[in-house]
Amino acid sequence: MSGLSLLLRAARAAFPAGARQLRTGGFRSAYAKELFLGKMWKEEVFPYPEISNEELEEINQFVGPVEKFFSEEVDSKKIDQDAKIPPETLKGLKNLGLFGMQIPEEYGGLGLSNTMYARLGEIISLDGSVAVTLAAHQAIGLKGILIAGTDEQKAKYLPKLASGEHIAAFCLTEPGSGSDAASIQTRATMSEDGKSFLLNGSKIWISNGGLADVFTVFARTEIVDNDGAKKDKITALIVERAFGGVTNGKPEDKLGIRGSNTCEVHFENTKVPVENVIGEVGGGFKVAMNILNSGRFSMGSASAGMIKKLIEMTAEYACTRKQFNKKLSDFGLIQEKFTLMAVKAYVMESMAYLTAGMMDRPGVPDCSVEAAMVKGTNEILRMYIALTGMQYAGKILTGKIKEMKKGNVGVALEIFVNKFRDSMGRKVDLGLVGKDGVAHPSLEESSKKLEENIYYFGTTVEGLLRRFGKTIVDEQLVLKRVADVSVNLYAMTAAISRASRSISIGLRNHDHEVLLTNIFCTEAYFKNNYAMAELEKYAAENLDDSIKKVAQQVLEKRAYICSHPLERTF
Amino acid sequence: MQLVPQGTKDRGFRDGSLVPFDELFERAHEGDRNKAAFNRAVEFFCQRDIRRRGHVEFINAALRKMPEFGVERDLDVYNKILDVFPKEVFVARNFIQRMFNHYPRQQECGIHVLEQMENYGIMPNKQTKFLLLQIFGDRSHPIRKYQRLMYWFPKFKHINPYPVPAALPRDPVDLARISLQRIAADLSAEVTVYQMPLTDISDAGKEITQPHIVGIQSPDQQELLARHNPARPVFVEGPFPLWLKKTCVYYYVLRGDPLPPEEKEEVIDSERNFYYPMHLDLDLDRDLWDDEEFYVDEVAEGPIFAMCMAGAGDQATLAKWILGLQQTNPILSQTPVVFHLTPGPRELQAASDSESGEEEIPQSWHMKQEL
Repeated sequence: MSGLSLLLRAARAAFPAGARQLRTGGFRSAYAKELFLGKMWKEEVFPYPEISNEELEEINQFVGPVEKFFSEEVDSKKIDQDAKIPPETLKGLKNLGLFGMQIPEEYGGLGLSNTMYARLGEIISLDGSVAVTLAAHQAIGLKGILIAGTDEQKAKYLPKLASGEHIAAFCLTEPGSGSDAASIQTRATMSEDGKSFLLNGSKIWISNGGLADVFTVFARTEIVDNDGAKKDKITALIVERAFGGVTNGKPEDKLGIRGSNTCEVHFENTKVPVENVIGEVGGGFKVAMNILNSGRFSMGSASAGMIKKLIEMTAEYACTRKQFNKKLSDFGLIQEKFTLMAVKAYVMESMAYLTAGMMDRPGVPDCSVEAAMVKGTNEILRMYIALTGMQYAGKILTGKIKEMKKGNVGVALEIFVNKFRDSMGRKVDLGLVGKDGVAHPSLEESSKKLEENIYYFGTTVEGLLRRFGKTIVDEQLVLKRVADVSVNLYAMTAAISRASRSISIGLRNHDHEVLLTNIFCTEAYFKNNYAMAELEKYAAENLDDSIKKVAQQVLEKRAYICSHPLERTF
Repeated sequence: MQLVPQGTKDRGFRDGSLVPFDELFERAHEGDRNKAAFNRAVEFFCQRDIRRRGHVEFINAALRKMPEFGVERDLDVYNKILDVFPKEVFVARNFIQRMFNHYPRQQECGIHVLEQMENYGIMPNKQTKFLLLQIFGDRSHPIRKYQRLMYWFPKFKHINPYPVPAALPRDPVDLARISLQRIAADLSAEVTVYQMPLTDISDAGKEITQPHIVGIQSPDQQELLARHNPARPVFVEGPFPLWLKKTCVYYYVLRGDPLPPEEKEEVIDSERNFYYPMHLDLDLDRDLWDDEEFYVDEVAEGPIFAMCMAGAGDQATLAKWILGLQQTNPILSQTPVVFHLTPGPRELQAASDSESGEEEIPQSWHMKQEL
């Protein structure tokens, strides 16, 4: 531990012990899930989560040295060319304590809250390889020990991991198993004396695989069920390279993050003591899910940081280069691109810090859905967001829907009256605007749009549950739209909340923020309405049936089946 | 009644046959009945008489003789036949001629030629059109028929989603391979040749013939078979006919009984997917109006595990097929295999005294002993 880290620690200690107050009375934040019911828990998101002045000063104290380090001593071009992070850079990172950002102080880490972690993530993302290496190390590599490990495991591994002496890696993917837990082939067999496991198998695409000394490995173990039946279940194990039998393949070359080390890891008869099981034997699935869910949200602020830097670099270029006697920045299309970048950066920042703020609240909030929304829109995450939300809404709406299906006159009448009023254009009031509204009046239009969208979304979700019930798991095209709408809604909320706060306290350039928010909300409103119109039954815009038919014909022949345009029949 | 053509007087046509032109074709071929001979016959007729007397009768006879000479699918021959008509004589020159079906027999004859082309599915080409225009002129019946042909034939050319290749292979193994792939309709199904056809003469002078055995199985079928309960028997049924244009091939099927409803449910474990829940824990079912799963004519049928085509349909050959299947599906060694073989048309001729029908073999080692 070098001087800089000690300095940071000293700075920490200097502040009063109660700097991070513990508020009693935690409540499970389920903001995103409530959206599926068409309701909005305003208290969760308004006002935008703030941190106290002392905390802000603390963060800035951290941020300064880290920024300096990254701008001076991290040469991204060289890392990309050499496909390797130079050892001096790694050492510098270790000295700054960046390897143990979320590890509590008693184990030697920095013990940062989620908000601070997000803030530092913005700076680290300036270099892709470094960001990936650090993320693989702490966001998933040692998270397992952190959230589900016993005190002995924590005391044994966390100090060295925090200082960066050992690097961690997360080993889940195998050649035959990407998201399917049933196809994991790596086996951990109990030895005769019952004191250790023998691990056999191989994992692919492990970030930090070549550098790591501590692996969180997921393997199959045989457990005896309550009924006495033998079943194969997944267990999470902490495996050290020192146990022997751990070999790497050669590093894979990746676009953009060549400096990060990704390779295959093979385990041959590696002996793992029983004490290294994370959680319990057979409980690896839950551990994996928790790790994955909690490690996601840092991506949001990382991408926001990258976009901000990108805006700087491209704006520099656009304002200096001239074509056709005009600067590039005078062309409308180029200006549109910059606006797009700015809007995206703003929204991602807002979402990331809103989620971080929600997670930092006391109690153990379940922000997995919000974190997934922040991370992005790859297919699997969309499924996750949509299904979790549907499950939540379904549980609450089951009673009502069943009543309706049975033909209860009262419920049917109520729904009919509601639909009638909706089609007459009733005003939705969720309390965002108006006399006691929590959003600032200059954001009135955007807030109205948000309210309408939320209400409409609630009715859409109810309609979908009524139509599909639990078979909605198979309707992926429907779920995709649901997920898109919910992510947009969450983004709109975050943007409005942040802009509202900015105006109220008078942050610099708050009018610019209002502009960005309005642009984003209008676009998102339109997209949401379109998506929800597609979800209606027999909607003309809904192309799902045609899509499925085309897909079936193409996959039947496994090729493109149209005749060539130059072909003749006679 | 037809004018007797001069050249055939010596053949003695006073016997009153009304189809003299057939003899022309009989004479033309010296041995082979092929395109060259046919062309010679047609040319002989053309050169014989500048006025082409009797051309309608000749063309009708030629159309009748085409299948014998094997040229019924040859477009050049049809064009040559159309060439027999004298040109520009039958073209209508004023509106009265156009109204009153100018030269009706010749127009009928032209239509007969096109009709035979249509029956054999041959698309006419530009030369045909040119000939027809020259012979009958625009707006005549043959040209109308030609136009109708050219409207419909292109539309029908690619309408068959499963076309049979025009030239089927002669080799039984290749033929079996193509037809099995046609039945299976699964691109990942694999065809295995378990035995090549072989005719061997052993030392004692006896002829040993080995029929070919070609089997097909797809990975899905392999999985189904692997999950099959070995206590239940599997059945070998056959032979079933498959017609490919004019050839009929026979295939045998290895199938199992449909599972009773209680064994059909496959519950997905809630711990299956790391990234999203595969099963929602809700008590809601799909709405009636969204339920598109009702098919009136869907009959519950048992799984089909593999298919094969064999040169001979007796139990010994099929047993060899099962043995071959065992290499990729080890579960077959523990499953009882029941043979439900109906007597195919070949077997009726071949061995009418041997019994065919249900024969049960409880264990496969029994089969091995037989072989």
